[in-house]
Amino acid sequence: MVAIPQDTAAPLPRPGRFGTFVRRNPTIFFGGLLLILLVAAALAAPWLTADPFRLSPVNRLRPPSERWWFGTDQFGRDVFARTIHGARVSLLVGLLVAVASAFIGLALGLVCGYFKRVDGIVMRVMDGLMAIPSILLAIALITLTRPGLAIVITAIVIPEVPRVVRVVRSIVLSIRAQPYVESAIAGGTRGARLLTRHILPNTLAPLIVQGTYVCASAMLIEAGLSFLGAGVPPEVPSWGNIIAQGRSFFQIAPWTILIPGAFLALTVLAVNLLGDGLRDRLDPRLARRM
Amino acid sequence: MTAYIARRLFATLPVMAVVAVFVFFLLRLAPGDPAAIIAGEDATAESIAAVRAKLGLDRPVLEQFVIWLARLVQGDFGVSIFSNLPVTRLMAQRVEPTVALTLSTLLIAVCMAIPIGVVAAWKVRTFVDRAVMIFAVMGFAMPVFLVAYVLIYIFAVQLNWLPVQGYRPIAEGLWPFVEGLILPSVALGITYMALIARITRASMLEVLSQDYIRTANSKGLATQRVLLLHALKNAAVPIVTVIGIGIALLISGVVITETVFNIPGLGRLTVDAVLKRDYPIVQGLILVFAAVKVLINLVIDISYAFLDPRIRY
Amino acid sequence: MNVLEVRDLATHFFTLDGVVRAVDGVSFRLARGETLGIVGESGCGKSVTALSILRLIPPETGRVVGGSVLLEGQDLVKLPESDMRAIRGHRISMIFQEPMTSLNPVLTIGTQIAENVVRHTGVSWSAALDRAREMLELVKIADPRRRLQEYPHQLSGGMRQRTMIAIALSCNPQVLIADEPTTALDVTIQAQILDLMLELKEKLGTAIIMITHDLGVIAETAQRVVVMYAGRKVEEASVDQLFAQPAHPYTRGLMRAIPRLDAEAEVAGRRPRLQEIPGIVPALNQPIAGCAFAPRCPFATGRCRAERPPLIETAAGHSVACWETARVLEAAA
Repeated sequence: MVAIPQDTAAPLPRPGRFGTFVRRNPTIFFGGLLLILLVAAALAAPWLTADPFRLSPVNRLRPPSERWWFGTDQFGRDVFARTIHGARVSLLVGLLVAVASAFIGLALGLVCGYFKRVDGIVMRVMDGLMAIPSILLAIALITLTRPGLAIVITAIVIPEVPRVVRVVRSIVLSIRAQPYVESAIAGGTRGARLLTRHILPNTLAPLIVQGTYVCASAMLIEAGLSFLGAGVPPEVPSWGNIIAQGRSFFQIAPWTILIPGAFLALTVLAVNLLGDGLRDRLDPRLARRM
Repeated sequence: MTAYIARRLFATLPVMAVVAVFVFFLLRLAPGDPAAIIAGEDATAESIAAVRAKLGLDRPVLEQFVIWLARLVQGDFGVSIFSNLPVTRLMAQRVEPTVALTLSTLLIAVCMAIPIGVVAAWKVRTFVDRAVMIFAVMGFAMPVFLVAYVLIYIFAVQLNWLPVQGYRPIAEGLWPFVEGLILPSVALGITYMALIARITRASMLEVLSQDYIRTANSKGLATQRVLLLHALKNAAVPIVTVIGIGIALLISGVVITETVFNIPGLGRLTVDAVLKRDYPIVQGLILVFAAVKVLINLVIDISYAFLDPRIRY
Repeated sequence: MNVLEVRDLATHFFTLDGVVRAVDGVSFRLARGETLGIVGESGCGKSVTALSILRLIPPETGRVVGGSVLLEGQDLVKLPESDMRAIRGHRISMIFQEPMTSLNPVLTIGTQIAENVVRHTGVSWSAALDRAREMLELVKIADPRRRLQEYPHQLSGGMRQRTMIAIALSCNPQVLIADEPTTALDVTIQAQILDLMLELKEKLGTAIIMITHDLGVIAETAQRVVVMYAGRKVEEASVDQLFAQPAHPYTRGLMRAIPRLDAEAEVAGRRPRLQEIPGIVPALNQPIAGCAFAPRCPFATGRCRAERPPLIETAAGHSVACWETARVLEAAA
C-alpha cells in the first residue's frame, strides 16, 4: 500500500537555452543588446565616422542625406560623427559615476551598518545631500571650479552616493537582524568573516541594480549640465554640448538637437531596461516595490 | 497631530543645517582658488582680491561661518557678485514663473498619470497596459530637453498652435498665460508622469490582488467604485510618496525647461548665475530649493495619516 | 425546490506550466434553506468552485470553461457581467477564510456594510447605515453605533468575521457561500461564529454552502456533504450517511485524520494515532487518466489507474466515484 511514484510527467519541450533566457528576461536581452551596440559604436567611433571636429563652412546646416547621415551643424561639422563620438562621453560618464558611487556608497553604507555612532552623523549628512536637487548640487560645484570631465563626474557622484548608501545600509541592518546571523555572531563569528560570508554577497545584487540606475541618471545629468553650459568643456562633442550648440538653429536644423537627443534617450532606455531586468532577476524583494 | 507636525518640523532643522554647512564649505573647500575662478579667466590680482573680500573669504573660516549663518537666519542670502543686488530680491523677482510652471506641471502630471496607471493595472497584460508600460519606461529615459524640442517642433514650428518660447505673467490675461505654460509643463511633466504612472500601476496591481478587493467584487459593486475607492485609496501611500520624490526631479527639470523655453524663472536665474559664476545666487537657490523639497516631503509624511487610518501619530 | 444547481462545472487556469484543471466537472444541488458542506484538502478545488459560482475567478488567470450554475433556473455562467454584479452580494453572497484581510483597511465598517445595501436596494445612504447598524446588532457586535465609525484594524478577528457575515447577509441573500469561515479563528471563536451562522440561517432562511477541510465543522452544520478530490466530486451523501458509512477511500482517509476522544478509544486504553493520508494531491496540469486518488489509495488496482470511475449511487442520496466500493465497505465492516 504504497504511493506509486508519479513518473507520468512528460518531459517538457526544450527550447534552446538562449531562447528561454530571452523569453524569461526580455528586458535584460533588449537592454543589453542595445547597450552592446552603442558601446561598440562608441569604441569604433574613430573608424566608423568622419572627423567630428572638421569644419566645413560650405556645408553648413545640411539636412540628413546620403553623404551626411545625420546632417551637419552650423559650422558644417558632421552630426553623425559628433553623435557617435558623443556616445563615448556619455557612456564613460555613466560608467565612471556608477562605479565610483557604488564603491563610495558601499564603503559608507557598511560603516553606517556596522558602527552605530557614525551611523547617525553620516545619515544626517546623506539626508542633507539628498535634499539638494542633484543638478543644482552639481551646478554649485561646477560654478567653483574649472570645467573638465573629472569635475563633472565628481559633481554627479556626490548627489548619487546617498542613494547607494541607503540601500547598502538597509541591507546590512536587515542581515544583521537575521536569526542565522545573530546566532553566528553569538557563536563567535568575527566581523571580517561576517562581512565576507554574509553581508557582501547579499549587497552585490542590489548594488549592481542600483548601479545601473545611477548610470542612467548620471548620463541624463551630464547631458543636462552640458546643455546648460555647465558641463564638460564646449569643445568636447558630448550629446549635451551638441544639443546646446544647436539651440539657436533649432527651427531650421532640428536634426542637430533631435538626433543626439534620441541617442541619449535610447542609451538611458537601454541602461534602465537592463536595470529593470536585473532587478527582477536578482532582487525580487526590491522588484515587488516597483 | 499638532505635536507630530511640530516634531517633524523640528526634525527638518538638521537636514537644512547640513545643506547650509555644505553650501558654505563648498565655496571654501573647492579645489583651486574659487575667488580666482569666480573673477574670471583674465582677472587682475585686484579684482580677485575684491571678489575674495566680497565673499568674505579673507577672514578666518569660523568667523565667516558665524557671520554667514547669522545673516542667513535673518533671511539675508547675501548680494550678487555682478549686480550687487540682494539675492533675495533677485529670487523674489523670478518666483512667479517657476511656481506657475511647477504647479501646472504637477497638476497635469498627476491628473494624467494616476488615471493611466489605474487603467493599466485594471487592464493588466492587455494592449492598454503594455502601451502604458512602454510609455512609462520610455518616458523615464527621456531627457527633458529632447521632449521639449520635439514638442516645440510639432506644436509650435509645424502646427503653429502654441508659442515657441516665452512666458507671459498671469496679469496679462489668462489665455496668454496658459498658452505659454502648456508645452513647458508637458515637457517637464513627461518623466514625472512616467514615474507616477508606473508606481500607480504597481501599487494598484498589488492592491488588486488583495482579499478585500475580492470581497468588494463579491458585493457586486460597480467597477469604478472598486477601482477608485476600494483599491486606489489603499494604493495611495506609495503614489503620494513618489509624487514627493518626483518633486526633486521637477526642480532639476525646471532649470532645463526654463532654459529651453526662455522662461524668466528661478531656473533661468540659476543658469545665468552659473555662467557668471555668481556663487551667492547659486547658494541661495540651493537653500531655497532644498527647503521646498524638505517641506514637501514633510507635507507628504503628514498626509499619510489622512490616507490610511492605521497610521496614527 | 433547488435554489442553486451546479452542473458539470469546469474551471481551468491557464498558467506557464500548462492548463490547470482546478474544477473538472462538478455537479451538486442546494435546496432552499439547506446547508451543503463541501469538504476536501487544500487544493482540491473547493474554493475555486465557490469563486466560479460567483464568477470571481480573475479573468487573466482562469475561467469557467464548461457547465452551468443555475440560480432558480437562471444560468449564471451565461449572464452578462452587469447582471452578474446585481446578483453578487444580493442573491448570492460570500464570506471568506481570512477575516483579517477580507475587509478593506481604509474604509469604515459602516461604509463597507452600507455600500452593499445601497448597491442592491437603492435606499439612501443614511437608511443603509441604519440597516448596517441593525446588521451589526444581528451578528451580536456590541455598541454597533460606535463600530460603524471604526476601521477593521480596531476590531478583533472574530468581530471582523461577524462583520463579514453582516455584510453578506445585509441584503437577505438566498445563498450564502462560506469559504472556510472559521479556519483562521481561535477555537472558541470558531464555535461562536458557527453558532451565529446557524442561528441566522434559521432566522433568515438562507441556504448555505459551507466549504471546509474540517469534517467537524461539517458534522456540526451541514445536512448534506460533497467530498471533493483533485477538482472532482468523489462522494456525496447526507451527513449521517457519510459519517456512518463513508464509501470512498479518500473520505475514510479524511475521517481517520480527525482527532477522536470517543469512548471506544478510551476503552482501548490509548488514544488512536492520527493518521495522515500518504502522498500528496496530484498536480492538476496534466490530464489524469484514471482515478485521481489511485496513487494514494490502499485499495487501488490497475483499473483505478487506467479508467476514471463514474459516480454511482450506492444508496438513496449516497453516491460515490470508486471502482472498489465493495472492497472498501467490506474492509470497514
